[in-house]
Amino acid sequence: MKYKSRLNQPHNLPGVLICVEGIDGSGKSTQLAILRDWLKSRKQDVIFTEWNSSDLISQTTKLAKKKNLLSPRTFSLLHAVDFADRLEQIIIPALKAGFIVLADRYVYTAFARDVARGVDRDWVRKVYGFAVKPDLTLYFRVSEDVSLERICSNRSPKFYEAGMDLKISNDPYESYKIFQKRVNDEYKKMIQEYDLVEIDANESIHKKQVFFREEVQKILTKKGIIL
Amino acid sequence: MTQYKSKHGYEGLLIVIEGTDGSGKSTQIERLKRWIEDQSYGVMVSEWKTSKFIADAINDAKDRNLLNATTFSLLYAADFADRLEQVIIPALKAGFVVILDRYIYTAYARDVVRGHNIEWLKNLYDYAPEPDMVFYLDVPVEILLKRIIGTTGLDYWESGRDIGLSSDFYKSFQIYQGKCLDEYQKMIKEYGFISIDGTLSEKEIHKKIISKVKDILEV
Repeated sequence: MKYKSRLNQPHNLPGVLICVEGIDGSGKSTQLAILRDWLKSRKQDVIFTEWNSSDLISQTTKLAKKKNLLSPRTFSLLHAVDFADRLEQIIIPALKAGFIVLADRYVYTAFARDVARGVDRDWVRKVYGFAVKPDLTLYFRVSEDVSLERICSNRSPKFYEAGMDLKISNDPYESYKIFQKRVNDEYKKMIQEYDLVEIDANESIHKKQVFFREEVQKILTKKGIIL
Repeated sequence: MTQYKSKHGYEGLLIVIEGTDGSGKSTQIERLKRWIEDQSYGVMVSEWKTSKFIADAINDAKDRNLLNATTFSLLYAADFADRLEQVIIPALKAGFVVILDRYIYTAYARDVVRGHNIEWLKNLYDYAPEPDMVFYLDVPVEILLKRIIGTTGLDYWESGRDIGLSSDFYKSFQIYQGKCLDEYQKMIKEYGFISIDGTLSEKEIHKKIISKVKDILEV
């Protein structure tokens, strides 16, 4: 029996799954929040979920991060646990009930970050083979330098976001740039592979939102949802 | 005697004892460990679901009944990855004989019964080193039931109650473990398990195990 990944097939559920991706400081969370308010004001049933937030495991993962205890593969699996939990508890039931599900980061975050940490590209894709294919994924493209400026204007980069576990450089700023570049490179490879819609994160908040809404409208129209 | 060459390329040896709960694995592992120690080898035993961090998360989630088939499977995989990297591989590199109480085959059996695709599971564990020997203690479900009821009692997860096979606890265990045994049976040939009749006496089983282990140890 050959295994068919769900991630490459349309989900056929009544709801709509919209995801935002990109490295930190790309403004994707802000854009998603603005979109959410707009959809709600149009009386849509909207639900929001974000990366590494399940009751089941996120505390364990955070604790392990603090102590720098786990290998990239173990981390990858713990994030998969978190995702699987939210998928079954939140995302799929909401899609069945016809909600618009807004996900701040989706499996592509794992594909980008885990591979940047040295996890096998094909392995991690197969691990997440149970994931539902999104109707729309926006990739907010921002350079490592701009990301660093925005994230670290008033603090130094954190251990994991700087990829300090990889021991690339002892300087967290330097390490951040190298690591986030790797993450960005992985995202860029996925644009074609997974039909990610690219958006220039350097644009103004307003311009980005106009573009985002246009893309969302197209998907909703296809689903027969008129705002 | 020609030196045995390990299947995984590390200096040590990897010996796995598989079987369902109540099949007598722990007893045999204890005896085997002592015997190998007596042959002047360094021995380490590692049990399923004993990683530092993740095992607690699994137990907690099980207690609160929070797991679905996918999170169940992935949490065990995370536990295994952690233990493999932190415990098993360092010991193999150091030349120890590592005896494992359950291995990836336990995950294959349980997760397939919970509805997962075997190809997905094989990918999940594809980095696991190939054991030098796998012993499978084969015990029919009726005898397992007697042993379990007489000792620990019927456990929720070991009875597969999470997948709703039957509201009757006895029956649920019977069906679930029966399905697991079927999966083990399928794996005997594919992975070259040495299958041992687990209803034999402790001593007889031990003798059979060491007669095989002698093939890969210099004694």
